[in-house]
Amino acid sequence: MMDVALLTELADSVFFWGAFTFMIAVAIAGLGALRLALKGEAVTSLMGVSALTTAAGVSLYIIQIIFEVEFARDTAIALLVLGAVGTIIFARLFRMEEGE
Amino acid sequence: MINEIFVILYGLAVIAFVAWNIKKGTFVIEPSKLIPSLIIVFVLLVVFLIFNGIPFDTAISVVGKIGAGGIMFAGVVPMIGAAVGLFRFGDEYGPNIFYARNHITGVIDTVASLVMIFGGLLIFRLDLVAVGFFFFVLIPFCGNALANAYYYSYQRRLQK
Repeated sequence: MMDVALLTELADSVFFWGAFTFMIAVAIAGLGALRLALKGEAVTSLMGVSALTTAAGVSLYIIQIIFEVEFARDTAIALLVLGAVGTIIFARLFRMEEGE
Repeated sequence: MINEIFVILYGLAVIAFVAWNIKKGTFVIEPSKLIPSLIIVFVLLVVFLIFNGIPFDTAISVVGKIGAGGIMFAGVVPMIGAAVGLFRFGDEYGPNIFYARNHITGVIDTVASLVMIFGGLLIFRLDLVAVGFFFFVLIPFCGNALANAYYYSYQRRLQK
């Protein structure tokens, strides 16, 4: 007979530390994206901001899951969806302004 | 104490396996064999826990959470690699370095969305799966639009 409380605690611990480590890795990738966003070129900055919104959105979603902060989920969904859609729209805009 | 030791060993094993795959440049174990094997291990663990007197919902939740933790540990290596790449490739490599950076940000987006999809499936959070899948569908359009905008603006600058 195995101990249910011990198993649940083990699973929670693995999930917490996995999510926490992944959040740190995403934050480091976000720093790289921030560096990219501060470059001079407009399209490069747009690419950096796009990666930064991804990093922020995923970090917020993980915060919602492991710390149960409910409002973080709404912010994360907004960042992930609007970040991607906004990147496509602005990229089209840059192409039309500068290329055609 | 046992929990912490298990977490460290499990995390290091997953991270080392992913790093080994990346260093080799191809799959150490083919995905067509690895994914069914992982699913079989998942089912066997659940059956083992049920036979040891654990209720079904607790057993599947425990195994799912350990699997989701493993997926997040696996996502650490590509994220760190992408961050190193973004810091490493500066402007001294010429104008075409943009496409390498576009690829690197694509890696960040893909890893994030795959972790959301499979982590969400394993912890039974369908909102996470839905957002991850929507994001996964949008990623190629984002990368293509950015590369397209850069290509045409660069041609324009060359003409000037």
